[in-house]
Amino acid sequence: MKSFLKNVLSPLEPLLDGMTSAGDWFTRENHRFTITGLSRSGKSMLFTSLMTILKYRSEHQYQCLPLLKHLPAELVDSMWLEPVDDFPLFPIDDHIASLEKGEWPAPTENVYAFKMVVRLKQTGQFKKYLFPHTHVVFEFIDYPGEWITDLPMAGKTFAQWSDSALAQQMTDPQRFYAKDWHHTLEQFDFDSDPTPEAMLTLTSSYRDYLKQAKQAGIAMLQPGSFLLDGSGFNWRETGFTPLPAKISSDITHPWTKAFNARFSEFQQDWLKPLRAGTFREADKQIILVDLFEGLNHSKQHLAQLKETLSHLADVFVYGEQDWFSKHVLRKQEIGKVAFVATKSDLIPDAEKPQLLALLKDVCGGATARLEREDVPYEHFLVSAIQATDEGSKTGALRYTNKHKQYVEVQFEPLPARIKDMSADEHYPALYPPVPADYLPRMLNGRGLDKLFQFLLTTR
Amino acid sequence: MSETDYKAPEYRSRTIETPLQQQAPSQQMPAKIDTSEWDIDGQQGISLKVITLVLGALTFTGFVVFDAIDSLVTQFSEYPLISTGLGVLLGGFVAALIALIVKEWRGFRAVEACIETPLNLPALAKLDDRAVAEERIREHAQRFGKDSYAARCYKQYQSALHADMIAADVSGLYESMVVVPVTKKAEEILRKESVTSGSLAFISPNHLIQTLAIAWISFRTIRRIARVFGLRPGTAGSWRLFKVLAQNLAAQSLFDMATDELANQISGSLAAKVVENSAEAVAAGALNVRLGRTLIKLLR
Repeated sequence: MKSFLKNVLSPLEPLLDGMTSAGDWFTRENHRFTITGLSRSGKSMLFTSLMTILKYRSEHQYQCLPLLKHLPAELVDSMWLEPVDDFPLFPIDDHIASLEKGEWPAPTENVYAFKMVVRLKQTGQFKKYLFPHTHVVFEFIDYPGEWITDLPMAGKTFAQWSDSALAQQMTDPQRFYAKDWHHTLEQFDFDSDPTPEAMLTLTSSYRDYLKQAKQAGIAMLQPGSFLLDGSGFNWRETGFTPLPAKISSDITHPWTKAFNARFSEFQQDWLKPLRAGTFREADKQIILVDLFEGLNHSKQHLAQLKETLSHLADVFVYGEQDWFSKHVLRKQEIGKVAFVATKSDLIPDAEKPQLLALLKDVCGGATARLEREDVPYEHFLVSAIQATDEGSKTGALRYTNKHKQYVEVQFEPLPARIKDMSADEHYPALYPPVPADYLPRMLNGRGLDKLFQFLLTTR
Repeated sequence: MSETDYKAPEYRSRTIETPLQQQAPSQQMPAKIDTSEWDIDGQQGISLKVITLVLGALTFTGFVVFDAIDSLVTQFSEYPLISTGLGVLLGGFVAALIALIVKEWRGFRAVEACIETPLNLPALAKLDDRAVAEERIREHAQRFGKDSYAARCYKQYQSALHADMIAADVSGLYESMVVVPVTKKAEEILRKESVTSGSLAFISPNHLIQTLAIAWISFRTIRRIARVFGLRPGTAGSWRLFKVLAQNLAAQSLFDMATDELANQISGSLAAKVVENSAEAVAAGALNVRLGRTLIKLLR
């Protein structure tokens, strides 16, 4: 009987398959995220945590992400990862293995991508028979945070960039870290020919400054690509540096000509493909901000972070997204933005409202632009892993420090605005090692549910 | 540029670190989602009603036995031990009866409070103080019966709360983890009860039995839905809800008259009877849905 029915229905199989595919197309929800974060902002850990939490939530029924109503745990049927074009798949297993060994995931030095498909059971009375599942697709690209600071360079000439870079180095706090580089620049003989060896001397000295400043928590360092070896950009052969104004203003000067050529090459051969591939347009943007780097160093660092974020907002294309403009006009604009302060577990609960206020202040320049474009945005505090514990007093927390000593840290009230912070004070950053119980601490991470609920829901 | 311009930055720390003589505590995995089936009739222990009935039966039996003994042993005018035993039984019965009356009164108050002062979640979401929102929800949840579905959802909600949440998150979480699943469960039960109501109306041989069957299924619907919402209204507590039931019965009677008249007009055949009963069954089911929906609206 079964085989008879099968024979009778066999001509209809392609039709049924077609209906399923059509159903998939109709019920597929695609969300393309661009996650914009400077280096050390916690992008890789955020991805690792998000995937782990969703896995444990759907496969083991753990009560994680309770505010993520868009993906109700009881409706999640399954989830899986798919590659995105030719990008290598995000190394989630390597990152979990690192955590298992007690090491934080290695900083990203290359581009990775993944598509996370969550299959939800259909609840509609009729829909569940016609299209039994809905697919929610998240598309993420992870890339070195150093690349992001280079994007504003795409719209500048060499002379403009050189002057602004030097001007920035003359302000605090960079000035101290640029001491050796400025010394090299002052002593350098620009009457000599710009031979590859001479240019390498300058670029090496400039790179040393960039590395030192990065170590000291400076956010705006250009070109950030110089800091990474093996990410595809060869700074030794095609590197350039800012030049003193008296040189860069003379377009016939051999050094200006040489660096101008390299700068154009950098824009055409590196930035343009990077923007077209890695930073291709998405419909939602998550801007990760590590406020602790700023708080760790000084008020000036926070001010510079604010400036950097304002510049970054100018690089992307924003606009209000509706179904017609997205699907018919094929307009690719970012229609929703989330500003996220990561590692929020490194601050006591009592200070979190202040941290959120500080985040809003730091993102002020960028949000002003979004308001002009009428793009919805929101601010969030997120901890991809709860590496700290509650303290014995208000304004205190406990954690295991890098010397493996369990300590209590009492915080003085955090500034709600940059201007409230004293210029000669700082909040030393906490660097907790990977906790032995990293899995429950990751599943107890906070804020990811609110963040994705905001991004996944329509206005 | 002078060397003094390149001054190393020096900052005062705004945190104080104190070593502790203990190891970091291990965190627990988050609670798991409770996917076990909730038993609508499941109730732990013996209910007070059963105790009362048993005590009443015992007392009655005791008096009967006493009377029997009294009649048999007429010679003995006084039986102090038996009198004491029967007195204790009678005392238990009276005490249980008083407890039942108090419980009925409390159930009545709970339904009144639930209907008169519903939890206004949008207003709670706008509060600045998360603790106030949490407290209001806790006060509301105190009405939930121990084994109710609402209590079970509330327990899950409590385990999902964490310190980072603001009032809007807390109320949103309560809505998604308690209000929505409880309403869904109530609607699920209502659907089943309505089918039963329709079936009973269809097979009822006469109007008296039909009315009694509908009254019974309506009482059961009220009790079951109230239990989902965590209320134990008891008999007196359901009084507010019975208004809807009375309206339903009246509507059903009117519908019966209309279908009778229609059946008489068509003919007296079996087909006419089937049509009449089918129409009544649909009406009974629909009215039961109306009863349930009103109840859900009142209790949400």
